[in-house]
Amino acid sequence: MTALTIDNIGKKYGDVETLKGIDIALEPGEFLVLLGSSGCGKSTLLNIIAGLLEATSGDIRIGDRSILGVHPKDRDIAMVFQSYALYPNLTVHRNIGFGLEMRKVPAATRDKAVRDAAKLLQIENLLDRKPGQLSGGQRQRVAIGRALVRDPKVFLFDEPLSNLDAKLRMEMRTELKRLHQMMKTTVVYVTHDQIEAMTLASRIAVMRNGRIEQLGTPEAIYNRPETLYVATFVGAPPINLLNVTKVADGLHLDGTEIVLPLTAGTAATIAEGRKLVAGIRPESLKLGQDAVTLPVLCEVVELTGPELVVTGYVGQQKLIATLAANSRASAGALLSLSVAPDALHLFDPETERRIN
Amino acid sequence: MSGTWLTTRAWLLMLPLLIVMIAVIGWPMMDTVRLSFTDSKLVGTQGSFVGLDNYVRMLSSTNFTRTLVTTLWFALISVTAEMVIGVLAALLLNQEFYGRTVLRALMILPWALPTIVNATLWRLIYNPEYGALNAALTQIGLLDAYRSWLGEPATAMIALIAADCWKNFPLVALIALAALQAVPRDIVSASLVDGANAWNRFRYVVLPYLAGPLVVALVLRTIEAFKVFDIIWVMTRGGPANSTRTLSILVYQEAFSFQRAGSGASLALIVTLMVTLLAIAYGTVVKKFAGSAA
Repeated sequence: MTALTIDNIGKKYGDVETLKGIDIALEPGEFLVLLGSSGCGKSTLLNIIAGLLEATSGDIRIGDRSILGVHPKDRDIAMVFQSYALYPNLTVHRNIGFGLEMRKVPAATRDKAVRDAAKLLQIENLLDRKPGQLSGGQRQRVAIGRALVRDPKVFLFDEPLSNLDAKLRMEMRTELKRLHQMMKTTVVYVTHDQIEAMTLASRIAVMRNGRIEQLGTPEAIYNRPETLYVATFVGAPPINLLNVTKVADGLHLDGTEIVLPLTAGTAATIAEGRKLVAGIRPESLKLGQDAVTLPVLCEVVELTGPELVVTGYVGQQKLIATLAANSRASAGALLSLSVAPDALHLFDPETERRIN
Repeated sequence: MSGTWLTTRAWLLMLPLLIVMIAVIGWPMMDTVRLSFTDSKLVGTQGSFVGLDNYVRMLSSTNFTRTLVTTLWFALISVTAEMVIGVLAALLLNQEFYGRTVLRALMILPWALPTIVNATLWRLIYNPEYGALNAALTQIGLLDAYRSWLGEPATAMIALIAADCWKNFPLVALIALAALQAVPRDIVSASLVDGANAWNRFRYVVLPYLAGPLVVALVLRTIEAFKVFDIIWVMTRGGPANSTRTLSILVYQEAFSFQRAGSGASLALIVTLMVTLLAIAYGTVVKKFAGSAA
């Protein structure tokens, strides 16, 4: 049985369609990340699951039960918000227990649940404080605690780490992963941060303009992006996109004499003369003396610590490569970089869809 | 630049304002204090020093006690009603409905009109011969005969309070509405998911954001109501049988109707002192509430 089924959900504001036929089915314990830039519809979808917005069409089921038209409090969901959304004049203890208090859970049971959650989140010493006396990270822990004690069927997270500084964000990310491994509750998590998506998700739905661009495991999203958009959205530094033309023995790099080799299987499926976009992840480029190398004129070389990020040009086309930190590269130098044929992501420039 | 020069310059810049303040507030105030220790009349004799006589006589007179009770009564009822009606109006105008913008603008009208206009309007409504209230009440059968609402001690105060509420609830509503719009959407959403009903949502989500601004409104309105003069003067002049006479009216009568400048001045200073105490008391409360919803 699926834990959460999103069945052809659509949302319109007047003539503006913000969600178009969204279909997702989640197994119990799955961690789904809705990933996309602002305005893609990811928060709208989350709010529809929560019951804070009405869908224009389609159905949502938790287990076998349709929850369309059901009040948010009766959906068996708990939600964590970007702004923490704590009740300002209640103590941490009452904030965490608020959902239970509203459901008239006896005080003793409530207190135990609150203390258990606080222990899990390491905020036991804060229970008597008010939200105003807490740091951002502590507030978010309280917000997560408030969701935990409810023991819901589905957790909803709306960009919960966006308001935290970089270091804290990493800590909380690990914390969330640890909690999920322990609780194994189904999660729907909205973010625009690809690192959060890659690290937390069991599956990622990359959204764009109200549609799901690709739904798959983090590995699939990164290693086999189905569209140009997904390829460029995920990955930092971003994937290199080179304009190429299919020729008899490979891909001719436009504006140069270089022909990149293709695997035999791929070569056979593409007609000669076809214009394509070749995507190459920066880390797929290696310093090497293979049969075919790309002569890259370095413009900028940046050492990030573990690696060296080289930005340069091959012909007129820009290229970024991440090399080992001890690689010898300097601005103005000409590097020979090679790429394995199976590391090429090929896209049709018209449909923007993957073809290999 | 040295601190002394900055301080000197600051005083220099404030000097023109200080001179005006001293001329229109400071000097008359000092003169009122001087007058209050004399038996001066408004015109004629200079009057002689009588010490605390005026204060003792005023504070021990039954007139003063009765008037103080009337004033407190007026302030308590009208401010309470204004706060309740204002908050309810704000909650209503914070909902989404067709024509909300127009209604929001219309609501300000009673407060935007000059008090004199408001008071005159209500005097017409309460008119014993052709007033709209009499007409309405008799036509729906609640009243057998026309009454003189402002002419009977039993109803004059209530009629006045209603008029004052009508004029001043928009201010409270305006402040409350602004505060309501500052309630974060996320917290409202969280309370919905947590299962809070309308009352709990008001108590735990809305009220923390409303409390601070409402205390400010309460301070303003209480002080205003305590020293109310114009609306009462236009509608009843403190009558009938002094049933609507508030402290400010008493001060006016003492100083100008009875031309007793000395005792009028002492009374005015007593009222000033009371308002100052009110302001200090509320200042403390406001400080406590400020940032309560941070």
